[in-house]
Amino acid sequence: MGASSLIVLFFAAIAFSVGGISIAKIFVKGVKNPQKGQAYECGIPATGSPWHQFNVGYYLFALIFLIFDVELVFMYPWAVVVKQTGLTALIEILIFIFILFMGFLYAHKKGALKWM
Amino acid sequence: MNAIIFSALAGVVMMFSGIFTKNTSIITNVARVALAVLIAVNLLDTYGGWMIAVDTKNLLSFNKFGFFFNTILFVATFLFFVLSGRDIEKVGSYTAEYYALIFFSLCGIAVLTSFNNLLMMFLGVEIMSIPLYILTGADKKNLKSNEASLKYFLMGSFSTGIMLMGITLVYGATGNFNLPPISSAVTGAVVSDSIIGPLGLLLIFVSLCFKVSAAPFHFWTPDVYDGAPSVFTSFMATIIKAAGFFAFIKLFEERSSDLRVSWKIIMPVIIIATLLAGNITAVFQQSVKRMLAYSSIAQAGFMLFVVYANNNSIGKEGILLYAAAYSLATIGIFAILIRMKDYTFNGYNGLAKKEPFIAAVNTILLLSLAGIPLTAGFFAKYYMLAAAINAGGKSVLWLVVIAVLFAAVSVYYYFRVIQAMYFKEGDAEVENVNNRFKFGLLIIAALIISIGILPSVLLNWFYF
Amino acid sequence: MSAIQILFWFLSGLALVSAIMVLISKNPVHSVLWLVMVFFAISGHYILMNAQFLAIVNLIVYAGAIMVLFLFVIMLMNLDKTSDPQKNWWMKLAGVISGGCLLMEMATLVRQAAEMKEKTVMMKEGSIGLIGNLGKLLFSDYVVPFEISSVLFLSAMVGAVVIGKKN
Repeated sequence: MGASSLIVLFFAAIAFSVGGISIAKIFVKGVKNPQKGQAYECGIPATGSPWHQFNVGYYLFALIFLIFDVELVFMYPWAVVVKQTGLTALIEILIFIFILFMGFLYAHKKGALKWM
Repeated sequence: MNAIIFSALAGVVMMFSGIFTKNTSIITNVARVALAVLIAVNLLDTYGGWMIAVDTKNLLSFNKFGFFFNTILFVATFLFFVLSGRDIEKVGSYTAEYYALIFFSLCGIAVLTSFNNLLMMFLGVEIMSIPLYILTGADKKNLKSNEASLKYFLMGSFSTGIMLMGITLVYGATGNFNLPPISSAVTGAVVSDSIIGPLGLLLIFVSLCFKVSAAPFHFWTPDVYDGAPSVFTSFMATIIKAAGFFAFIKLFEERSSDLRVSWKIIMPVIIIATLLAGNITAVFQQSVKRMLAYSSIAQAGFMLFVVYANNNSIGKEGILLYAAAYSLATIGIFAILIRMKDYTFNGYNGLAKKEPFIAAVNTILLLSLAGIPLTAGFFAKYYMLAAAINAGGKSVLWLVVIAVLFAAVSVYYYFRVIQAMYFKEGDAEVENVNNRFKFGLLIIAALIISIGILPSVLLNWFYF
Repeated sequence: MSAIQILFWFLSGLALVSAIMVLISKNPVHSVLWLVMVFFAISGHYILMNAQFLAIVNLIVYAGAIMVLFLFVIMLMNLDKTSDPQKNWWMKLAGVISGGCLLMEMATLVRQAAEMKEKTVMMKEGSIGLIGNLGKLLFSDYVVPFEISSVLFLSAMVGAVVIGKKN
């Protein structure tokens, strides 16, 4: 798959999303009504601003996610070349995954992955 | 390679030791044993006894100088663990993690003492410094510690960014990351006359200056050293700084000629600025901890001489001596400082009457930092200056004279502590002094004096 | 104009507009979302330059994970409408002058460069950025730094737990 097909796909993707939204905009008659924004039936009416301070503990999940995200990125080139390079690449990535699995085990044991 | 692998393994072991036991003194002992094993495998590697052979594709090159430097730094860390292990336990509730981070930092140092490629240098510097950002902020409830951590992290990331920029430019000019520059005829790269290569080296130089806190890139040092928990300041100011200098030497051993004439102008300016900033500001400090932070800048000024006089064996011997002398003395002084109740000069008043042994050891270590004969510090400074004269001849005599003058200034602030201990009345308080602590101090003092009397013992070992 | 040129101009325009929107959005969350847009446009550029791996890393790590961190930071800071940003006139003036100088410098350099007149950017040249070639290098010549970098991840993980976790 070369760059040209990527370009075609790219424009197809844009056309798909933009087209969908614009068709909806053209054909749907929007009726502005304050009643529409309210909670459905017995839902609790919203009060106050949705802007409020988060607990710093959530940041930990994002950080751990980031670390494994970066790990995952390295597996992508590995998956592409594993057929050519064979066993050595397999062993190399296994070492890498093992070391990071240790990190995962550690985070799990420390309760860092528990939702508060 | 042994040192790199085993320090990483030791870090993992420490991580999990905190899960299996909550008893901090067991964790400390595990860390001491792990470090002893690390020293042992590094020594085996040095003399070719047993090593894990990995084909590093010329990215890492191991030589005796690097191994020896590793050994010195690991032994210094071991003494640090022995003396200040109890204090690491007291910093917070993550004792095992603190040790793990220190081991990861040592892994970075092991990479830094063997890199042969700019890529590995970057990786080594990062692995060495990221644990430090965390250790600086280890005292989570203390605002000063938080501030120091953030400051260190931001400044450190900027300097890493500058280093990456420099590496990119060097790559653009030479077409490879290798340390010994391959001639452009071989790689068919850009003309070697272009300004890009030297500019890149200059950027790397700046970022390394930051890491070893050489003026004018030293402004973070006092705040970070002051804000960090004192135990970790001790580790940062000694072992990490010495490792930074090793990277400095290794890089510019091969490449300083690329900077051509400007090298002979930049280095003296930086050396004098560092000596000036460190020594003069240290004179006005009221807190011993802050004084030691400035004194570490001043000592960095002396160590910079070895970078100036690259490619000569006196300089290499000198930096080994200096790393040993400076690390040991500062670790000892910090170990005492951590257990003092009051960190100001007045807090040391009358220590000699209360704890004569500790005061005596502290005096020996301070004398060594000041560079008084019969201590290790004297020969360390002597070798630095001799290396400069050896490299530059009479034309650098003025620089040496300035350095000696600043060494005389440094005597003033080191003696203020001694004066407070011996000649002032007061009730200095030292907490938790036990026999093991005293024994550790005794070993450090003995090492300092024996190196001071017979520096050749250490250096002969290097050639052995 | 070939398809690639069209794509290039489209992505450049998108990147510039989104970058400006990052700066002028009043709501910091909107700024972050526009920044995601910038990253997407830049990733498109990387693909045009045959640097597939960079494009993927940019999308997965930057547009994905780092932006989540950004959003968390914004939500942690409790930015209320009441906390007005500082309006220092002198700072603004200094910013305009220094930014203007940089722009002028860049414009002059770009105008002078001979290659600029022929081609604006190298497209579809070089094959080192293709994932297959990069993977081969990474798992043969550069395997040592690859493995050592896992130590970096481990220390980051330990650091996250030490700093982030409640006692």
